[in-house]
Amino acid sequence: MYWVSVITEAAVFAILALGLDVVWGWAGDFDLAFYGYLALGSYMTFVLTIGKPVAPVQYIIGGHLPLLLAMVLAVAAVVCLAAVIGAVALRNLRDIYFAVTTLGAVSALYLLVENYTPLFNGYNGVYGLVNPGQTALNLTYNGYRIVFLGVVLVILALAYLLVQRLSRSPFGRMLRSVREDERAAAAYGRRVFSAKYRAYLFGAALAGLAGSLFAIFISAFNPSAWTPQELLVIYAAILVGGRGNPRGVIAGVFVVYIGLVELTRFLPSPASRPDFGPALRQILIGLMIVLMLKFRPEGLFRERPGLDGAQGLAARLLRPFGTRAAPAPAGGVPAAEEQAAGDRGAG
Amino acid sequence: MSPALLEIERLTKSFGGVHAVRECTFSVPEGQVAGLIGPNGAGKSTVVDLVSGFGLADSGSVTFAGQSLVGKRPDVISRLGLIRTFQTPREWRNLTVMDNVLLARRQFARESLWRSITRARRIRREEEADRAAVRAILERFQLADLKNELAVRLSGGQKRLLEFARIAAAEPRMIILDEPMGGVNPVLGARIGQAVRQFADEGRTVIVVEHNLPFIEKICDQVIVMDLGEVIAQGPFSGLRATPRVVDAYLGMDQSHE
Repeated sequence: MYWVSVITEAAVFAILALGLDVVWGWAGDFDLAFYGYLALGSYMTFVLTIGKPVAPVQYIIGGHLPLLLAMVLAVAAVVCLAAVIGAVALRNLRDIYFAVTTLGAVSALYLLVENYTPLFNGYNGVYGLVNPGQTALNLTYNGYRIVFLGVVLVILALAYLLVQRLSRSPFGRMLRSVREDERAAAAYGRRVFSAKYRAYLFGAALAGLAGSLFAIFISAFNPSAWTPQELLVIYAAILVGGRGNPRGVIAGVFVVYIGLVELTRFLPSPASRPDFGPALRQILIGLMIVLMLKFRPEGLFRERPGLDGAQGLAARLLRPFGTRAAPAPAGGVPAAEEQAAGDRGAG
Repeated sequence: MSPALLEIERLTKSFGGVHAVRECTFSVPEGQVAGLIGPNGAGKSTVVDLVSGFGLADSGSVTFAGQSLVGKRPDVISRLGLIRTFQTPREWRNLTVMDNVLLARRQFARESLWRSITRARRIRREEEADRAAVRAILERFQLADLKNELAVRLSGGQKRLLEFARIAAAEPRMIILDEPMGGVNPVLGARIGQAVRQFADEGRTVIVVEHNLPFIEKICDQVIVMDLGEVIAQGPFSGLRATPRVVDAYLGMDQSHE
């Protein structure tokens, strides 16, 4: 059962990472608000399904909606929040300015949720979504967890197929051109803001979906579950797996989550230092990011360029993932020709 | 001569206290190759930015094919059929040569997120025609063998050619080239000149910002000379030597450009 739990969690985070990769990997926006979208998706799923709060617990809505409807509404709420944050942050801000703005947004959200109790019960959080539908499905507790893992894996597979299809589409290509050079993209007619915005909303929708599944997985949610550091792990996973490659992203999440969980599980945990394990985990993540950037910056699976024609297929077969193509000597202008300095006239 | 495709009137732009462009007025007729020359800091690149939507003029007007371009975004201007380049080639580095040129095609409708999901197969089929056209263009610019290479791996000269391949793929009505000969050797320079001529032969209007005067003399029908943000002369290249202000500002006394 332990492994069921680990794999379920990794699969939920893989859905989140697929969404983040569209925003960061394809569109190039280093978004720090992203974990907030998972949190809102989670909160909304709770408050739409667990019924009216009983004092002293407080939260908004308190609905008794069917789970599927609640999930759809939770995703819609997340997309609405992303629409507001994205509209402000993506308009003119880029790189570190964008990152800081999104960090500010998620910090504000965090403080609001933590301190304004009537929203999502403040620091104590919400709970009570225990295995929805278990009795209807006539399952044992463990049986339910296994079925739920199956459901999450199916959703992950669907999300992967969706993202993969988008990745190879003209939309994915256009988004990458915006990432590579925004001014050139605009010069060739691309609406930069609109492209980034659409990618952002799409990514946030996947984060909301992941949040919704996360709610069912952990059955209680409070601010300590979504501290900003959590996002670092997702970024590390994308880096390790291969930014811009959906398959790599999923692989990265499984490697990082299962690797880290397992590595730190067998560590000695001295009684005098109870925070030894978590602290070491953070250090390991940092170390892993540094090592990957140094030795394999493209990740385990590198972003696959859109290869063209028969040569593309041959190249794909001859060139296993990750290996770099040799600089082509054939065709075009001989390199030596370039060495000559330009003969610029008077100027 | 045909009526002007691009008309610039009293265009003005300051950055703080610097008057980058002052009351700049000139026009370019359809089908012509015009050279825009002048010393460094004359305001040439600022004019290019203002025309293409990458900067907002303080005053004045820019009219392209009868439509005002003032206040329009770069992507809108590009979609009207005016494509500009930048002083350094701005290729999409981590995309393939093929994708770089394919992206220059007018395929905006295909880039819808929704349709990319629901009509993936149909979009791929539609794209085949564009791919065939792009392969022919790559052939024309000697880039066909490199089509699956990432653009970042091209040499400086190949990047220049890639820029021309993108323009050819975009099929614009007007092209503004910002220093296409920067850092280019004579052999490649001849090829670039040939490409510009071919664009003109296809009926496209071209403005070339350049310091390489022999190049300008060879390919341009008329030349616009700027200095300190103002247009100081406009006309055929041969007439410039007779304009004292141009000689003082740019050509110099003993200019030999053979």
